[in-house]
Amino acid sequence: MDLSKLKRRPSFPIETIAVALAFSPRLDGILAEAKRIKLQLNSALILIHVGEKTAEKEEILDSGLQKAGLVPSDCRIIWMDGDPVETILNVCKLNIVDLLILGALQKEKLLKFYTGSVARSISRKAKTSVLLITEPKVEPCKIKKIVVNGIDNPKTLHTIATSLYLARLLEVKDITIVNEVYNPAMAMTIAENSTAPEANKLKRDIAEEQVSRLHPIIEQSQEQYPEIAIKEKVVNGKPGYAISNYAKSKNADLLVVNSTDVHLNLFDRIFTHDMEYVLQDLPCNLLIVHSRI
Amino acid sequence: MLKFTHTDLVLMLIALGIVLILSRFISEFGKKFKMPIVLGEILLGILIGPSVFGRLSPHLLAAIFPRIGAERIALDGITSLAVIMLLFVAGLEVQLNVVLKQGKAAIYTSFMSMLFPFSIGVGTVLLFPHLFNYNASNRMVYALFFGTAMAISALPVIARILIDLNMFKTKVGMVIMAAAIFDDLTGWLIFSLILSLIGHDGEITSLSYTIGMIIGFGLFMLLIGRRIIDKALPWIQTKLSWPGGVLSLSLGFCFLGAAFTEKIGLHAILGAFIMGIAIGDSVHLHEKAREIIHQFVTNIFAPLFFVSLGLKVDFINNFDPMLVTVVLLIAVFCKLIGATLGAYMGGLSKRESIAIGFGLNARGAMEIILGTLALEAGLIDEKMFVALVVMALVTSIISGPMMKYFIKER
Repeated sequence: MDLSKLKRRPSFPIETIAVALAFSPRLDGILAEAKRIKLQLNSALILIHVGEKTAEKEEILDSGLQKAGLVPSDCRIIWMDGDPVETILNVCKLNIVDLLILGALQKEKLLKFYTGSVARSISRKAKTSVLLITEPKVEPCKIKKIVVNGIDNPKTLHTIATSLYLARLLEVKDITIVNEVYNPAMAMTIAENSTAPEANKLKRDIAEEQVSRLHPIIEQSQEQYPEIAIKEKVVNGKPGYAISNYAKSKNADLLVVNSTDVHLNLFDRIFTHDMEYVLQDLPCNLLIVHSRI
Repeated sequence: MLKFTHTDLVLMLIALGIVLILSRFISEFGKKFKMPIVLGEILLGILIGPSVFGRLSPHLLAAIFPRIGAERIALDGITSLAVIMLLFVAGLEVQLNVVLKQGKAAIYTSFMSMLFPFSIGVGTVLLFPHLFNYNASNRMVYALFFGTAMAISALPVIARILIDLNMFKTKVGMVIMAAAIFDDLTGWLIFSLILSLIGHDGEITSLSYTIGMIIGFGLFMLLIGRRIIDKALPWIQTKLSWPGGVLSLSLGFCFLGAAFTEKIGLHAILGAFIMGIAIGDSVHLHEKAREIIHQFVTNIFAPLFFVSLGLKVDFINNFDPMLVTVVLLIAVFCKLIGATLGAYMGGLSKRESIAIGFGLNARGAMEIILGTLALEAGLIDEKMFVALVVMALVTSIISGPMMKYFIKER
């Protein structure tokens, strides 16, 4: 494999998707979801299982593939031994996977969250985009609402573009770009030195500044994707938590966020990083866009 | 037995009324010239205290603001409460994820802006002891204190400067904020350690016990206490009266935390500060609730505290030009060099790095609180206290214009 292809590879079009399989009751649902996404995105499909290859597992997988309507030529199956997280990430890297799909519980138990489950650990480390599906369904369930982060970060542009690309292929008509406004120490500053009109103006100015940053991006995107209603929303609160809460309150089907700029570790779970607020309690399916910029 | 009489009550209420009304007017006047609010409060203390008014009418001063007696004890109680609440609200704004999120630039700046002034401060005391006046048995503790005093920053002053310069949401602004948060956190932890080492009766207590207790309490609050508060806050904010419920319970937790740390031999400010971090970190604390807590403490208790400093200390008699110059030079250059180097190592441009150095140079109210606690603990004398106050005020005043010069003018 030519790994130089990975460098600065855009986050879309999604040519290859991979699905990490565990032999759990959710296997059929994950396979069905994978097949639907493969067809809609017109991508190659790789199925990865880390663990011993046994006749029993093969039988279960064959049956799952059949139920999902997948034939052997539709996908490549990779069986590997080793540490699940590292092995899956390595397979993705070697096969230039553009999107890794994983089943994930909506919420982990406290200890599991700190020690890290496979799905969440992969989400923290992956160098490719990751889709966490909280409730994989055998029957098709159309994605209707997508919420996308609009934070001030160079990656956001790619994340929005990837979301629109997906929305077009998945025929989603409703996208909301959410701008989280959070100003640490603002309350302290206002309390110390501002009259009421000054404080209100200050807050308004900062919020407007954030919103105006997104306007040209949204206008340009709307011209490119006229069939999609692109809305914008400003929410106040800690980044990560605020958008997660918004996605939950709006019953979004998919939340799309940037990949992190730093390698997340245990420290980021204790002093909660924006991404960890989302991973702590997934509001819906989550797509982490890795733009490789 | 000392009794709080009807006359004491009347005089105390007059004293509180005078302080709150005059400090508000002076601060509002100073605001027009972009002066930090704490400057007005300190100036008022100096004007109505022994430094100025005391020289003109010592009897009237002694009647309204007595140095001994029941009213004095009551006023001291109020200022102790004020300092605990000030540390609580300082803790509310300490969010370590802000530091971590800014990555390399913030981490280098934070470390260097803390480490450099701290080391130089400690080194100066150890190498040039004749410049300072301290108890020989407390030399190391004094050196640690001086290092901390040089290293601390003032988040509210810095945030205000950034807002005024329209830099609050910029990369430079966020690096400054992150580093100020880190400096505050480490500074107050070290200072709590120093105060705990001195002990309540001035005797040095065990270092391992103190460090163990600070780490134990910090970890408990960070890992367990914070989660409990996070779970309780939505209930408090929706089921109890708004904003009374969250205000009284937050301050209640603050006092309990302060009482606990005071009881186990650490200083009360540590409990209040860490409780502030635990509450302020919660995603469920409404911005409005945060503002109300800040308003309550900053506009009622902060003036009482800062004005009281001028009432206690004669700033004119204790003004030592040599000491003030030494403290000011060490404070300004160490912070400036440390923070500038850190920011530059973190990948910022030379000009941005210098601007960050000046931004973090503002010491403001935090330095004054630090000095007051050290004075009360008998660690420093009044001359050093005055030097620290002057340094805090000068650095707060020069920070904004210097940042503007390096960021905007060139």
